[in-house]
Amino acid sequence: MSSLAAPHSDRSTAGWFLHGARTSLSVPGLVLLAGYVGYGGLLQAVGFPFFAGLVSTLLIWALPAQLILIGGLATGSGLVATALAVTLSSLRLLPMVVSIAPYLRGTRRNTAVELLCAHFVAMTVWVEGQRLLPKTPVEGRVPFVLGLGTALIGISLIGTGGGFIMAGELPKHLAIGLLLLTPLSFSILMVRGASGITDWVALALGFFTTPFVAGLSGGMDLMLSGLGGGTLAYIVGRMARRRR
Amino acid sequence: MTSFDSEWSAILVVILAGFLPTEVWRSLAIVAGRRLQEGSEVLQWVRAVATALLAAVVARLIFVPTGMLVEAPLWLRLACVASGLAAFFAVRRSVFAGVLVGEVVLIGGAWMLVP
Repeated sequence: MSSLAAPHSDRSTAGWFLHGARTSLSVPGLVLLAGYVGYGGLLQAVGFPFFAGLVSTLLIWALPAQLILIGGLATGSGLVATALAVTLSSLRLLPMVVSIAPYLRGTRRNTAVELLCAHFVAMTVWVEGQRLLPKTPVEGRVPFVLGLGTALIGISLIGTGGGFIMAGELPKHLAIGLLLLTPLSFSILMVRGASGITDWVALALGFFTTPFVAGLSGGMDLMLSGLGGGTLAYIVGRMARRRR
Repeated sequence: MTSFDSEWSAILVVILAGFLPTEVWRSLAIVAGRRLQEGSEVLQWVRAVATALLAAVVARLIFVPTGMLVEAPLWLRLACVASGLAAFFAVRRSVFAGVLVGEVVLIGGAWMLVP
């Protein structure tokens, strides 16, 4: 990971906000739009109300958690079990926010602003943040993330509503393509973001252990693949660093 | 789906079973993560766990499909991701090329295999 030091800013706060918003108009933003179109279609298919679906995108703002929530409720898992599954799935956001938090502190500590920035952190903002924030001047980082996050949530709300409305109109083969768009694009984005042996081992263990633990209930599968696989990847990376 | 009769009860479900269980980790990371310095051993570990958890969630969507995706066989779903990754590396690490090729393989395959 690169240092926190960065070049001096030549943009105003509003300028950095707009720059962040413009950054959302990219391939990851397009992929997010498509992923939420798929989610909107799912909402319509299980009979979830339209505005509550939009609220889920605005407030939860993590597609895997949203998929688990709607999928769990639709298959009758019950409110408590579903909430627990979402809690376990969203645990991955804790290390994501922790690793990006040093960039969200700005020039002056402000917990309310930090919490707002943290709300925007999900897959896309995390990947783009890891890539772009080290190159962004310290005073531009918070408005950049706020602009990027606001625009991405706006795009996702359009996708959710659009998908809901056009669900059922789509031919079967295109519907299949839409449903796999999220895992396909996430796989590519994770490979692009990976650097160093720890990342690669974590990716491989998280991915390839999943079919073997998928039968386990209560979120144990995520704990084994994610917590176990990640810890093992950390140990492998630490051993590799020691040897050098 | 009795809990979805009205917008308001569904919004309440979203807040209780979706928003709170998710936001608690983001808030905790800000409140408890302050003392962590970039590059520290703990951060290296949490980053590894985040990566593996995300890979597991993505793998789940591929290996344990929902809805219409059940109709596409597992090998086709895996071929879609593999060809997407191959195209990503072949075309100057272009995410767009990867997604496009993966989707063409999947939709083309579904066209031929799924009635």
